[in-house]
Amino acid sequence: MVSRRKFYLFLFVFLLFLGIVVWAQKNFQPVQYNHKLHVEDAGLSCTDCHVNVETHERASIPNIAVCGDCHDDPETDNAEIKKVVSYVQEESRIPWQTVHRVRDYAYFSHRRHVTLGQLECETCHGNVSARELPFEKPYVEINMSWCIDCHEQRAVTTDCYACHR
Amino acid sequence: MAKWGMVIDLNKCTGCAECVAACKTENNIAIVGKEQSEMGRTMLWMDILTLYEGKYPDVKVRYLPRPCLHCDNPPCIKVCPVRATYKNEEGIIAQVFPQCIGCRYCMAACPYTVKCFNWTAPDWPDEMAAALNPDVSARPAGIVEKCTFCIHRLQKAKEQAAVEKRDIRPGEYLPACAESCPTRAISFGDLDDPKSEVSGLIRSPRMFRLLEEIGTEPKVYYLSESE
Repeated sequence: MVSRRKFYLFLFVFLLFLGIVVWAQKNFQPVQYNHKLHVEDAGLSCTDCHVNVETHERASIPNIAVCGDCHDDPETDNAEIKKVVSYVQEESRIPWQTVHRVRDYAYFSHRRHVTLGQLECETCHGNVSARELPFEKPYVEINMSWCIDCHEQRAVTTDCYACHR
Repeated sequence: MAKWGMVIDLNKCTGCAECVAACKTENNIAIVGKEQSEMGRTMLWMDILTLYEGKYPDVKVRYLPRPCLHCDNPPCIKVCPVRATYKNEEGIIAQVFPQCIGCRYCMAACPYTVKCFNWTAPDWPDEMAAALNPDVSARPAGIVEKCTFCIHRLQKAKEQAAVEKRDIRPGEYLPACAESCPTRAISFGDLDDPKSEVSGLIRSPRMFRLLEEIGTEPKVYYLSESE
């Protein structure tokens, strides 16, 4: 009898934990953004929204100024689009959670990699155009061995002072 | 490949310490406070050495700005057990902060005492924390720091030049001290380029280098004060 009670207690705790994990994942980003839909149906490319990729250090995560260009009509059945439209109408920024972070002692520039190095976004971010949910964690763990492997393969400088600062 | 060097004209230097202030703010160098400072833990990548000559009332004060001298034959890199400090292709003596284990051998080896040990975790008042330079890392406690010739500025200048498919222009890459000096006493440029300003200045008969006799070959040159 006692063991059965223990089993149910364990099951309850496990399901509660599972529920919290699923809830946390679903609510990690403020909007369940769908990359696939934007790329395939709307015909957008990465640089249409991440406008600074080719010209700046940071790629820029689009916010109401960019999203509002298309999403200005509140008449929609989609709950996620409604969220975006309300952010746009209230002129409050969408509180995206930053997922890809580079340590402050390393200089990483998108321009250097995309414009000068001619790298595809997929090399570091994976097949983003097939993603139906927003990023919760980076596609690759950003660490030095990942950077150095790529630099060595492409015969780019591996001088510490090319990136460290 | 450029070989970066600096020339400091002591005739022009007034000892105003603008270079020290510019260096501190540019590189997020910790302000340690009175107590730590009295223990000899002041952190300066660029310091002004003050020399007093003569006796009162005929005292002459000389000022000598002293960054890391980026020696061509640096004693510090020979003692580093983890290659946190090394000479790169362009002659800059690198100090790779995340690599440093804080053993302080390099501090003992440097004849110019340019390196400083970071005793305290970075902690700025809120008002100042918002004004930190995002291009330079905030170093943790327990590592050795020194002047990097503002390497973050070179990284950006190189990228800009590469995008525009050209070489770095003279004056495009300047460390904060050289840029801020109100009397233009600090010149900076490529020592390998015979046409550069610094190459011209080091041919001056006033040129000298600190502790030249020990063979460290510093790339920071001085022009002595005329009498």
